[in-house]
Parts: sequence; C-alpha cells; structure tokens
Amino acid sequence: MSDFIERPRTACALAGALAVIGNLPDVVPIVHTSLGCGGNLANSVAFGSGYLGGGYCNGGQAPSTGVTETEIVFGGTDRLSEQIKNTLELIEAKLYVVATGCMTEMIGDDTSGTVSTFIDEGYPIVAVSTPSFKGDSYHGYDIVLDGIFNKFVPVEKEKDHKLVNIFGLVPGYDPFFRGDLEEIAKLLKSLGLRVNTFFTPDQTFENIISASKASLNIVFSRVWGVEFAEKFKERHGTPYQISDLPIGPEATDKFISDIGEKFALSPDEVIENGNKEFYGYFERCADAFCDQDLKSYAITVTNSNYAIPVSRFISTEMGWVLTDSFVTDKLTDSQKEALKSEIPLIFLTGVTEIAKAINTNHPRNRAQRYFDDLSPLYIIGSTLEKRTATARGAKHMSVSFPAYDRFITDRGYAGYRGGLHLFEDLISQFMSVKS
Amino acid sequence: MSYYEQNVPPVRDTRLKMGDSYSGCACDLVECGRSGCLLSQGRGFWQANACQMALSLMMATTVENSAIVMHAPGGCGALLHSLSVSSAKGKAQRGKAPLTVPWISTNLTEADVIGGGERKLRETIEFADKEFRPEIIFVVVTCAPSIIGDDVEEVVRQARTHVSADVVSLHCPGFRSRVVASAYDTFYHGILRGLKLSPTPWVDFRPINSADPDGELFQKKYLYQKSHTVNIWNATSIGPGDEKEVERLLNALGLKVRFFAEYSSRDEFRLVTEAALNVSMCNVHDDYMLKYLEEKFGMPYVIAGMPIGFEHTRRWILQIAKHFNLEKEAIALIDSEEAVAKKAIEPFVAQIKGKSVLMCGGVVRVGSESTALKELGLKVLSIRAYHYDEGAEEIFEDVAENLPDTPVAVSNQIFEMTHQIKMLKPDLVISHNGTQGYIAKLGVPSIQLFNADGTFFAYNGIYQILRRIVFEFKNTSYRDRLARHIKLPYKKSYFEEDAFKYIKK
Repeated sequence: MSDFIERPRTACALAGALAVIGNLPDVVPIVHTSLGCGGNLANSVAFGSGYLGGGYCNGGQAPSTGVTETEIVFGGTDRLSEQIKNTLELIEAKLYVVATGCMTEMIGDDTSGTVSTFIDEGYPIVAVSTPSFKGDSYHGYDIVLDGIFNKFVPVEKEKDHKLVNIFGLVPGYDPFFRGDLEEIAKLLKSLGLRVNTFFTPDQTFENIISASKASLNIVFSRVWGVEFAEKFKERHGTPYQISDLPIGPEATDKFISDIGEKFALSPDEVIENGNKEFYGYFERCADAFCDQDLKSYAITVTNSNYAIPVSRFISTEMGWVLTDSFVTDKLTDSQKEALKSEIPLIFLTGVTEIAKAINTNHPRNRAQRYFDDLSPLYIIGSTLEKRTATARGAKHMSVSFPAYDRFITDRGYAGYRGGLHLFEDLISQFMSVKS
Repeated sequence: MSYYEQNVPPVRDTRLKMGDSYSGCACDLVECGRSGCLLSQGRGFWQANACQMALSLMMATTVENSAIVMHAPGGCGALLHSLSVSSAKGKAQRGKAPLTVPWISTNLTEADVIGGGERKLRETIEFADKEFRPEIIFVVVTCAPSIIGDDVEEVVRQARTHVSADVVSLHCPGFRSRVVASAYDTFYHGILRGLKLSPTPWVDFRPINSADPDGELFQKKYLYQKSHTVNIWNATSIGPGDEKEVERLLNALGLKVRFFAEYSSRDEFRLVTEAALNVSMCNVHDDYMLKYLEEKFGMPYVIAGMPIGFEHTRRWILQIAKHFNLEKEAIALIDSEEAVAKKAIEPFVAQIKGKSVLMCGGVVRVGSESTALKELGLKVLSIRAYHYDEGAEEIFEDVAENLPDTPVAVSNQIFEMTHQIKMLKPDLVISHNGTQGYIAKLGVPSIQLFNADGTFFAYNGIYQILRRIVFEFKNTSYRDRLARHIKLPYKKSYFEEDAFKYIKK
C-alpha cells in the first residue's frame, strides 16, 4: 500500500523553514517558488497554530521569485538573482534566507550558486533546500536551523559558561512554542543562566549571532532538531542535551536539577519557589476538581514533542487514567526507538485511522446490560480530534497542530506555571458549558 | 480542439488577455487590456501570494459529500485544514450538514518525483473511495506531478471504471499562472468534464407516459417551472446573505432561484440544466462555465456585472428581467426598493460624505463598488485590482467614465498597498480578506471588501456596507495604538520613490 497520508498534521520542509524564519528577529525569507507557496504555507501556520499570524515579513509580505512556466522551462536563476537584488534594496533585514520549493528543485536551479555570488559580495544571505518531496515541516525546521546556525553564524572558540541555547520546539507546529520558551527561559535565568530562546518577542538578532558562544544546547525534542544539534556540535563545539519538555512540578524539578548539576548551580531555591507557587494555586483547585468528580480517562493525540510531557502531566499531577498516547508525526524506526519511555506510544497520523483505533481499543457498548465503558473520556489532541471526541461523547481540547478552535498568545504549558495553565485550560472545558 | 475537450484546462493567461502588473488610469488600462500589452508586464520584485490551487481547493471543499485527493508532495494541502472548517460553516449557513471534507495527500516523495506517482494516485483514489464513500472525489494536481508529467487523466479514466464516486480532476499547478482567478476555470473545467450535468430518467424524473391522461398537464407544469427558473453562479466571496438578497429580488419577479456551483451536491449538479437562464454575479468568475452550458445545452446566460450599489444592481436585475420580458415589473420593483433603501441609508451617507477611500481586491468588485461609493459622496483615491482581464472591461469603462482621474493599479502586492496607504493617507481602506491585519498595523481604518458572513449585494448590501463603514469610524483606537508599535519591513527610501517602481513594462 502506498504511503499516502490522510490530512497531514504538518506541511512541507519549506513550510517548516518559513515558520522558523518568520519567527526569528530581523530574518526575512526569499521564497524561490511560484507565488502561491509562500502565502499558502505561511498561512497554514498563521491560522492553524492558534492564529499565530504572519509577523515581520512573512506570509503575504515574504519576497518570492514567483516562478512561472517560463522559468520552469528556461530555469529560474535569473529571476532569483533579480529578486535577491531587489529584496536587498527594498527589505530591511539582518539576514535573508533563500528557501526553495518543489518546482525549482525539480528543474535543477543552481540556487546555492546564485546565492553564493551575493555572499561573496558580503551580503548576509544563505540558501536552504526545502522541497516538499524531501521532507515535512519538521525536517524543514532542521534544515533551516542548519542553514542559519551552522552556515551563517560565525564560529566562536571562546564560550560563555553561563549561556545556553534552546532548540527542539518547532515554531507553529508546536503551537505553544513561545509561551513554553519564555517559561523555560525564566526558570533557567532564575538558576543563574543566560538563555537564547530565539523565537520569543524579547529576542534580537544578537541572540542568533551569540548562539555559537553558548556552552550548552538544550533540545526539547527527542527527534526534531537533534540532527541539527549534532552538526552544531561539530561546527561550534557546543554539546547538546536532549530533554522532554517539563510540564508541572515533578518534571520541572527534575529538569532544573539536571541542568543545575550540569552547571554546578544549586537548584534548591528555584525548585522550592516553583513548588510554592504551583501548589499555592493548585491546592485551591482541589475543592472543585474533586467535588465535581472531574477525574477522567485520557487519550492524547499530539506530535512527538508533546506526547510524553502531556501524558506524564495528566497521569502524575492530575491523576487521570491515560489509556492511549498517539503520536502523529511520520517517524523512522530509530526515531520511534528514541521515543521509548514508560508511556507506550501508538504511531498513527490519519484522523480516521486514529478514531478507528480508539474504537477498536475501547469498544462501545453494544447493548450490554453492564458495561465497563471508557468514560468519562477526555481527548487531548488537535482540532481534528474534535469530531472524534464528539462521536465518543468525550471532552476535547486542542494542544497540537492544527489548532483552529482556540487563540494562543503567550500561553505555554512548560514549567510550574505551565502545569497550572494546562490544568486550568483542561478543567475550563468542563466549566464552559455552565450557564 | 475546444478548451472544453482538453484534459488539462487553459489558464487565464492563455484564454484571455489579462495581466497582474499595472499602474495608470482606467481608460489606459482598458486599452492596454485590449491590445494585450498587459500580458507582457511583470515585476522585478514580488511578494508571495496565493495560487490557483488555493482557490480551487476553496471551491472544492464546499461541494457536498466530496473527498479530496491531493496529488502532491505532503505540503500542498496544508491550507485544507482551515478551508474545510470555513466551508463547514458555509454549509451550516445554507442548511446543509456541516461536515468537513476528508482529504488525503498522495505524499509524493523524492522517489516518486523520479519514478512517477501514478500508481500511488490510483491507490489513493481507491482508498478514498472505500474509506469515505464520497459522491465526488476531487483529484487536485499540483506543481510537482505536473512537471514530472504524471498521466493523471489516464489514472482518473481507469478509476472511473471501478470506484463508486465520480472522479473530478482539477489541474492547478501554481507555476502555470500567477493569477489566482485561473482557479475558477480550473474548477469549472473539472466539473464540466467529470460530472453529469443533465437529469437521469427515473432517478431525477419520471418520463411522461403518453398513455397517461395527466401527461400533458405534467409536461406543461414542468415546462412552465423550467422557464421560470434561473441558476445563479456564486463563489466563495459571495455569502449566504448575498444569496438571500438576490433570491428575494428575483422571487419578487416570479422567478425561482437556484445557486451553483458552490455548496452544490452531485444530485444538484445533474439538474443544473433544468433552468431557463444562467446568471453570473461576477464577470471574471464563471464565463468559462456559462459559455460551455450554452454551447453544449443551449442554455442562455447573462453576465451583467456585480449587483453592488444602486446603479449596478439596477443593471443586473434589468438584464435578467429582459430575458423574461419582465422589464416593466423589474423597473417597478427597483424603483420601490431604491426608494426604501435610499431613505434608510440617509443617516449613514450624511456621516461619511467626503471621506476618502482606497479600494483593494477582486477586479470586478473594486471597480463596481468604487463607482457606487462615489455616487454616495465618498472620494475614491485609488483603485487596486488583484488582476485584470477582458471580462472586467465593461466595469472599467464605467470606472474610466465616472472616475476618470482616479489612479488605477493592477496589484495584489502588499508592499505597493503599504506605499499607497502611507502616501495617499486615506480615511478608509476597503480591502480583500487577507490584508486587514497589514492595514490595521498602518493605523488606518478599514473594512472587508467582502466577507461570507455579511451582505454586500443589492439593497441590503449597500445598507450593510455603509453601516459597516460608520461602525468602523466609531472607534479607531485599536489601530491607532497598534500602529505606534509596528516596524515595517520596507526601507524608508522606498517611500520616497514611486510605489510601482518594480513594475516592468
């Protein structure tokens, strides 16, 4: 059977690259495709990631070569040169990233050759190869980070022993990337470190340039950004540490301890304050949470980055009964291996196949007099799971791409505060039906 | 060979004289459009936009009980998540089941791009048919399979022999045209080649039995109904509010109204020819389909602009009435409707008289609305049409006559719009969906040129447009404050030069 995908929960490598570029300070894409790609792909994240929006110069403002049949037949490098020249003249940026798409890769345009003439003239510009047939948005994330940090950012022998970079959360495809990054940065700063998050509003182009000075890369993904971090290590000599995104006190305590140990910094105060903060709020929730009998079975349907952190939080901190954790990324066997933990994962992508799997694993009552139903049930997934949940009579909340049924600004679920937010959002779904 | 017989539809660029890069006045635009010189114009700098695939998908998702097979690498369908959500809403607004469209990507990989994706396409179509049991499967062909030359039509032809759904192919590679409006032709080409457009005996009707004593009566009834039925051709920019308003007016003339092609089902498409007249609501939407229905089924059609504002609405209704010899009745209706509406808009007109406005969006709509608003006392500073083709000639002759000094641009480019807004400093921008955020960040009041949740056509339409303008002026604080914190990506020097400096003649 062919490897077609029902309703893919990601787009193409170019889309991943545009999501990264569009969320980095003073970085502008030059999309070497026909006019549609840049707009369509940026829009899918601009709306599908909790209405993230376009940003400084992405989406409908992104410079694009807009290749037509003429370029497909005769080659598009002349158009590309002209577009780069005029982009440099018109658009203010500190770095320009030329990203290709299917049609210009298929016709064999020498994109990097064209771009290198501009590099030779001293312009801050890099080229990345991001056709859809090479990989999805998560691959695009890796490719474009490699292009920016391993090709453009200068090597720095001297390291800053208190500086860390954060990678792994994929802009747009991890809809809470900004809120999560901010919370992680806040925690690490209170531990005494300096942090490059790159994708939050407080960051400047200086953070990108200073990345090579960092003494550690923390990668909040067991699969995405890892290959890039490996290459970063080769080029800049900065080691990396893979960590699951910590959500809630238990996970965050451990994360802070691990990082504290690595940098010989005492984690005690941060942990103590974090727990005081968390439980100061959390204990007050117990009355409603318990009196209203809100304990649920839970199924998660998320990307690989969120699967383990969310599953752990609802099991350990909320005491819900987790039955299935679906991971919707398309992964290789070794990537699946890397995701092994105490939480068993099911690797499926299609909306229909996941709904079927839920019904197979947990059959419905077929007129039995006594029946141990999977109820009350809560499905934590993407907007695509909403109808699956309705059909099962389950509660539903979107935490994964595509998330069209909620608006996200600085919301994040990482850390102590994030755990509270996740709890609050999940329980609010029960409360929102009251009138 | 007629376009209609070809497997792959023509793009607007080959079918009509058209263009997407122009700056000047309306009369020169009409001239340049006629002579074809528009075709050769382009830009030295472009910003990303949409493509004909995006609009083709927008239309396909509205069709009831359909499934979509994206014959593409994994990324092309990314927009479908949001499109199917808005189409589900459109279905609900029209009393149809608000289901989202299931879709599958053939997910072409590097190996497929080298070795061909035909087998994958066949298997995906078969899977979609079994899994979703749709009435129609749209096979959407994007750039990659078009370049490698997959014989999609042969796969579709074979699939038709053994899948239960009707298979409709939509060839819409973005590189073949920069003009998004090409999608209308693509979509209609797929429909007219892939669906049955005439009723099936015993399924859709009971053939008249000559021995039946009531047979003659049945036939008379049928012919009378058919001769008083009009098909109105809608589009995504035309919402249920617009449909209700034009239906109300034509009902008042004793005509039965049906809407095609969006939000129709396979069963409804079979009955499309059961009407006396096809009526367009926009000169650049559906001439391809209406001409086909005339050529193939002898159905007459009317393309008479867009019913926006009093004058255009009058013309639009009269053209239809003329076909049915109902002109006298139509004039009476129009006069009475105008009298009521003009009274109703008086307080709005008084508040917005003399305000300056920049118009941006679809060529027919911006042209029509500009002259309508000028009639009501607004000052149109400039008109920006997303593309221009022969179909819009009549509208722009009108613009040339009524707004001879108003600069006209053919542009969907945000940087040029930004320049114009900053330089012209309009009191209001009326603009296409997808640009409202950019305008807000410039601190300028704006309203949607169209919005499927609102009403823009005919009498209720003009009332609602004016009401919305007044509403917009009621509090502009959000934009005023927001704009103070926005850094634009364009260098300052650009704003000292011509907005259209990158247009190449």
